[in-house]
Amino acid sequence: MTGLGLGPLGGAALLLALAFAAWGLIGGALGAIRRDARLLASARQAAVATFLAMTAAIAVMEIALLTDDFSVSYVAETSRIGSPLWVKVVTLWAALEGSLLLWGWLLSGYWALLASVAPNTPLRPWALAVMAGVQTFFVAVPALMAPPFQVVSPVPMDGPGPNPLLQNHWMMAVHPVLMYLGFVGLTVPFAYAMAALITRLPGSEWMAQTRRWTLIGWGFLTAAIIAGGWWSYEVLGWGGYWAWDPVENVSFMPWLTATAFIHSVQVQERRRMLKAWNLLLITLTFSLTLLGTFLTRSGVISSVHAFGDGPVGPAFLAFFLLVMAVSLGLVAWRWDQVRDRADLDHPVSREGSFLAGNVLFLAMTFAVLLGTLFPLIVEAVSGDKVTVGAPFFDQASLPLWMGVLFLMGVGPLLPWRRAPDQSLRVNLAWMSGAALAAAAVALALGMRGVYPLLTIALAAWNLASLTLLILGAVVPRVRVGTRSVAQVLRAYAFENRRRFGSMIVHFGVVVVALGILGSSGYRVDEQIRVDFGGSAEFQGFELTAVDRFMDQDENRISAGAIVDVTRNGRPIATLRPRINAFAGQQMTVPTPSVLYTPWYDIYLNLGSAVGPEQDFVVLRAVRSPLILWIWIGGAIMALGTAYALTPVRRTVPATRRATREESART
Amino acid sequence: MTRLLLVIGVTVLLGGLFLFGLLRGQPDRNIESARLDRSVPAFELPLYPRYQGAYGPTLDLADSLGTEPLIVNFWASWCGPCYQEAPDLQEAWRRHGERVLFVGVQTQDRGKRAEGRSFIDRFDLGFPNVIDDDSAISIDYGLFGVPETFFVRRDGTLMYKHTGPVDLELLEDKIAELTAS
Repeated sequence: MTGLGLGPLGGAALLLALAFAAWGLIGGALGAIRRDARLLASARQAAVATFLAMTAAIAVMEIALLTDDFSVSYVAETSRIGSPLWVKVVTLWAALEGSLLLWGWLLSGYWALLASVAPNTPLRPWALAVMAGVQTFFVAVPALMAPPFQVVSPVPMDGPGPNPLLQNHWMMAVHPVLMYLGFVGLTVPFAYAMAALITRLPGSEWMAQTRRWTLIGWGFLTAAIIAGGWWSYEVLGWGGYWAWDPVENVSFMPWLTATAFIHSVQVQERRRMLKAWNLLLITLTFSLTLLGTFLTRSGVISSVHAFGDGPVGPAFLAFFLLVMAVSLGLVAWRWDQVRDRADLDHPVSREGSFLAGNVLFLAMTFAVLLGTLFPLIVEAVSGDKVTVGAPFFDQASLPLWMGVLFLMGVGPLLPWRRAPDQSLRVNLAWMSGAALAAAAVALALGMRGVYPLLTIALAAWNLASLTLLILGAVVPRVRVGTRSVAQVLRAYAFENRRRFGSMIVHFGVVVVALGILGSSGYRVDEQIRVDFGGSAEFQGFELTAVDRFMDQDENRISAGAIVDVTRNGRPIATLRPRINAFAGQQMTVPTPSVLYTPWYDIYLNLGSAVGPEQDFVVLRAVRSPLILWIWIGGAIMALGTAYALTPVRRTVPATRRATREESART
Repeated sequence: MTRLLLVIGVTVLLGGLFLFGLLRGQPDRNIESARLDRSVPAFELPLYPRYQGAYGPTLDLADSLGTEPLIVNFWASWCGPCYQEAPDLQEAWRRHGERVLFVGVQTQDRGKRAEGRSFIDRFDLGFPNVIDDDSAISIDYGLFGVPETFFVRRDGTLMYKHTGPVDLELLEDKIAELTAS
């Protein structure tokens, strides 16, 4: 290519972004120290400038990917001419360098948005400076350590294309972006928490400023984890969705601490308690996102997810340690100001249940962290190699989850401060009745085992609690007014977005819990050999191997089996499990075919390759009850979060406005 | 002050642990075969005609299993990576065929004699190649795909299984290990 190539152009955009981000940090910090309004304004502009420069870098990379410009190193290493358009677009985050670029871009978007919309409070200068600091790191890594824009010479004719596991499912276009949006969103409350410590204003101000951002980050993280599970179910071929693999654990830990955080901030808002606790939680959450990136990008912990290594690992480690030391150091330094002065009035109160829930979430975080790091600790101490498998994580977290489900039902019904009153006893009686009835029905239907029965009981407990919450809100309003139940309910849902949104999210959690119960507790997994033309019995279904098939396009060859699924001779579905081979890649990808139904999924994957002349097929057949509800529950949780975030329009009905104006006049 | 020390202590401890992890290098990610260190199954399969002069119409692995080191390579005529690795296998056999028995198994390739023959002729494979027409042997060996290569010790136990194409460097390494014991 003659003239200025895309590589140098993208590299220049990144360096420009780095300079702007560094100025945002230096200028912002200086401005905050000297209270210099001009410097602060300049630092805010640096946020927007960084975002523009990062956007330019992203645009250059997308142009290079879409025009197959293999003179750009990232394109040469991860893209391919024959890939479909959508694959080329998402190849941006199919490998390490590109995904860090995306992360830096999304972060710059949040930073620029924050700089533009954040109200002018004493916290803002430092919060923006902390954002700038994080941003500087996330631009420096792609600009200096993992450069995606290096010039390749001679220019290759074609590249290998992205990792086949990533090309194999459209979910890969969604999951990483959601994950980064989640991680990046949680940077904002962290920045405000640090600002609160620096400015000695550790009250509720920083939380009020960041409530929305925290929920946005949490909502994206929730959606990302569920989407990741679905991707794994549809792609990895073992019929499961969660394996306690380190890379899953490191995305789960910040979610746990963030979940604890969004509950405990309410205690501080209402009761001015748990100041230090909240600061620690958000610090922990942010540090855990960095720790996760370090662990998965450095190869320190053995994981099925192979990411590239290189200088990025040490860089993330250094940044993680810096963040830990500085932020925890700040908390320790300001301890006298953040210490709680109020005490819990009554353990059985709203704040008491939040506190107990926090303890459970933190215990779970610790268990997952310990299980993830344990092999490394053992190897460091004794040199032995051990692995920690799913049984440890299941046993450690299941009882804690039961506790969380219990508290989720009872907590929202408890009053703040006071000891519970009579109405709570009545509510608890209803909920206990529902739980016992559900458990009895499950027992009668043949369910056994402590955890399955307990999960069913707690699901009923929560559904009863949600019903009581809504009845408690709606019934008095219906009684006093002339409006119908539907009108009252709609008005209640409209006026109490946060509360109603949280109910939707909690309902989603119950749905997910039932999905996990069915799919993990009652899953059947068999290897079946079927001759072509013949059939085999699987869980009351007949699987008939009709034929083998081969599809081929420019980018992909699929070879697999056509399997008819029938029940008592009645056709249910035709599934086509296959093995996909992508051009440019040696690895072949067994690709399952799934029949989704509300009650159970039938999941078929090829147990071995189907050669063109082979007269049988080995199938891995999995029947997972209720698994569909995990994805639906996840969507409900995301919707509930979005609902809680929708701005309340302050429209007051004309009549009420009139009375209000009257009362103002008097 | 104590709190600051606590923070420093925790940071140093975590830093040390992860630094160790970084310096230790990459953990081994290869998934091991369930047959590792166990005896591999014997088989008797028809040979391609060009080898029948030296070995007879069929090759019975039981004759060699437990007496000499073995390399069993599974391939198919429709498999791209098999074409990639074949020259290296041939070269390794040329160098070490005296000490290690190489066996190629055409599998998951029913009826494709002509294609198999042209595969063998293309690389002029000197080591015996057999035909696993109903892919029974590939199931015995727990094959996931082709190519896969099994390195069997003199005592008939599996030392190492390689998934995907092998190269000369890996073959040299493993052969040195096989013949050292």
